[in-house]
Amino acid sequence: MSALLQVKNVTKKYGGLTANNNISFDVSENEILSVIGPNGAGKSTLFKMISSFTPTTSGEVLYHGERISNLKPHIVARKGIVRTFQETTIFKSMTVRESVIVAQHLRAKASLAGYFWGTKTAKEDVAAFGIYADELLEFLGMSSISSELAHNLPQGNLRALGVAIGLATAPKVLLLDEPFAGMNHDETMQMVDLVRSVRDERGVTVLLVEHDMPAVMNISDRIVVLNFGEKIAEGSPSEIQNNEKVIEAYLGSVDDEIGM
Amino acid sequence: MKNISSKQLVSVGLLLFAIFVAAPLIIGATGRWDFYFTLTSVALLAIASAGVWLTFYIGRINIGQGAFALIGAYVSAILVVKSGVSFWISLPAAGIFAAIVAIVIGLPILRLRGVYFAMITLVLTQVVTLTALALPITNGAKGISSIPLPSGVSLFGIPIIPDFAAMESTKLAFYYTACILMIATYAALYRLVNSRLGHLCRSMQQNEELASSIGVNISYIRMVIFAISSFFGGIGGAMFGSIAQSVYPSSFQVADSVNFMLNCFLGGLGYVFGPMLGTLVLYFGWDLLFELGKYQLLVYSIILIAVIRFLPNGLLSVRIGKGASK
Amino acid sequence: MEQILANGIYLGSQYAMIALGLTLIFALMNVLNFAHGQMYVIGGFVTYTFYGQWGVPFVLALVMSCVTLAIIGALIEKFLFAPVIKGSAREESTMLLAAGIAFLLDALILLIFGEKQRGVPKIVDGVFNYDFRLIMPYDRILICVLAILSIVAFIGLMQYSKTGRALRALAQDRIAAQLMGVNVDRYSMIGFALGAMLAGLVGGLLVTITGVNLGMGGATSIKAFMMVMIGGAGVISGAIWGGIILGFMEAIGLAVLSQYGDITYLLIFVSLMIFLAIRPQGLMGKPWG
Repeated sequence: MSALLQVKNVTKKYGGLTANNNISFDVSENEILSVIGPNGAGKSTLFKMISSFTPTTSGEVLYHGERISNLKPHIVARKGIVRTFQETTIFKSMTVRESVIVAQHLRAKASLAGYFWGTKTAKEDVAAFGIYADELLEFLGMSSISSELAHNLPQGNLRALGVAIGLATAPKVLLLDEPFAGMNHDETMQMVDLVRSVRDERGVTVLLVEHDMPAVMNISDRIVVLNFGEKIAEGSPSEIQNNEKVIEAYLGSVDDEIGM
Repeated sequence: MKNISSKQLVSVGLLLFAIFVAAPLIIGATGRWDFYFTLTSVALLAIASAGVWLTFYIGRINIGQGAFALIGAYVSAILVVKSGVSFWISLPAAGIFAAIVAIVIGLPILRLRGVYFAMITLVLTQVVTLTALALPITNGAKGISSIPLPSGVSLFGIPIIPDFAAMESTKLAFYYTACILMIATYAALYRLVNSRLGHLCRSMQQNEELASSIGVNISYIRMVIFAISSFFGGIGGAMFGSIAQSVYPSSFQVADSVNFMLNCFLGGLGYVFGPMLGTLVLYFGWDLLFELGKYQLLVYSIILIAVIRFLPNGLLSVRIGKGASK
Repeated sequence: MEQILANGIYLGSQYAMIALGLTLIFALMNVLNFAHGQMYVIGGFVTYTFYGQWGVPFVLALVMSCVTLAIIGALIEKFLFAPVIKGSAREESTMLLAAGIAFLLDALILLIFGEKQRGVPKIVDGVFNYDFRLIMPYDRILICVLAILSIVAFIGLMQYSKTGRALRALAQDRIAAQLMGVNVDRYSMIGFALGAMLAGLVGGLLVTITGVNLGMGGATSIKAFMMVMIGGAGVISGAIWGGIILGFMEAIGLAVLSQYGDITYLLIFVSLMIFLAIRPQGLMGKPWG
């Protein structure tokens, strides 16, 4: 099985601090891979480097063998690797449907000038965007809130909106930033189903960063575990669950988190 | 466009009627010919303000439009006086030159946000004024005066634009020219805002990170918008110079840049036609207060502060709910 | 060379004081005070009136400038900025308000003091002359020393007094300061008054050298903006560095470029743009966005 996305020896240093040290793993096509680790393990830094929102200090990220790290975020998005954000990063005063339409930017066939003059291609685009938006919202079960303004939505819906915006770009790889953070059990299960159907029905490869262990065990094909910026384990959920290093480093600290 | 409602059509019709029929009739009846100059100025300042409004649309507070208006005025004046080019060619040339300057300056400064961008654009106005004072081609403090009036244009022997110099009074001709330019500007602005470029601008205004994550090249769009904005500034300034038949380093100053910004705020940032209304109200307000003599600025600033204090979302926000023109 | 150095220190110390007031207000309330230059002009006119017209001792006239501006600043904050900041979440509204206030102060200056250029008698006579390599009138030296002393006093106030600590807490994090029991409304007003007072003080000092006129307001604000951008907005050390750097650039520009006409500011602006392209947060500012 050839790797779709390769993280190769990626290191990130902030001054004297090493946030990620020499991390490598592969993501295969049509896989759901999770990166987990306790708080401060360097998950979000790694996530930002994969989506080119921050440059690597050394090492590289490859997509189909082509380097995608240290580029501009929009170029990475154009290649089909699209990230989502946590709930506060939305288009506040757009409706759900408007957000999803704007996010189809990359699918446009007509030029910006074409839209200005209202060429035939542009009109076709506009019609196609509307149809796709409705179809996507239907798929995500969000049709009923399609004309709500984003900043009026409850937290759970915001996360779904983030996924909808990401999916609207028709990505090959979707990078999800802590999709289950702050959710209760039912919401988490809904999100797990959603992410799985994104992969199963849309053929999108999913890489997610998360620290909700049960959800991650449930959803992932494979898991990469980070601790103090180092990769300490990689494998299937059952392998990870039985890995001593992981139990020691990560599961031990879960008690603290529950204690909070 | 299918999303133009009949109500909007009526409003546009009323606006056109007011500009081309009602205003000349009223001026003719009252004999206040000076109003032509006032209205022409409003139209031209509204063009420059439209540019400022557009930079607001990508979330940047632009207090540098005076700089681009001054650049436009000088480019047109220099082309007409020193190179003998027709005014009608110098007009787009002025806009394009202002846009090119905007692109060069925009490369570094468009990365700045919030008050930082506001500050540097304000400084820019002052710097262009000082540059105009220093450069030989702009003739220093003496400026460029006695610019000839726009010449006539004919295509295949058919006159399209009459020769302004041959007219008895150029007031009406300049009034119509300015109004046509203003209508073209706002039609273009409306179209732009409602096309994909406008949607991308809105996405950037609301969240630049998210916009870039969906593949929007934010630095490119910023540049395009700043260039269009400055193009409007250049056009407005060039036309102004032609009417005044002179350009000085003081033709557009920091206070003008601030006024362009005020026009947009006052009209309301959420409405395409906000800057037009804002310009009309501010300029007319200023003109009407002329009777107050030395208390003019005092009363004007007090009214201004009161409006900001009690209508923080602009004049057009009063009629929200009646279907704002967006 | 010595002359450029001396001119640079002289200009820099004045500029740093102007920038300090602007940056203080910005740090506390996130308000870009367009009216800062006008406050400077009012300071100049107050000292002119007391010292130049009524013959009050210069130091007392300076105090009057400070008091007047502190009162104006406090009133503006309490009755205009505070309610507008509460009523609207957008930073544009305060910018608009600041522009309106700049117009208002201009109008008041015009009505009360007129539009003529005003000067005052020299506070000290004589010129310091070191071998014709360094020539500096004594009054400039005195003003420069007073400015530096004021800056030192200001820093001392910010570092060691209770007010200063509260103001710094407020500048760092408004909400945290409130939780720590700082009376946010009161200290916002004090901070604004202090910022305005600094502008007034420089105005009062400089009226003895350059005189004062209505038109100086806008130009002064613009210089203050440049200094704040060089140093980094909202940072006290940044304002001082910004003032010194702009002062030196001007001193060098005047000495070296004078035969090419007035292109000093064009060059300063171009270098500022290049600098900001590399370091958008300024010398001392924290990285943002």
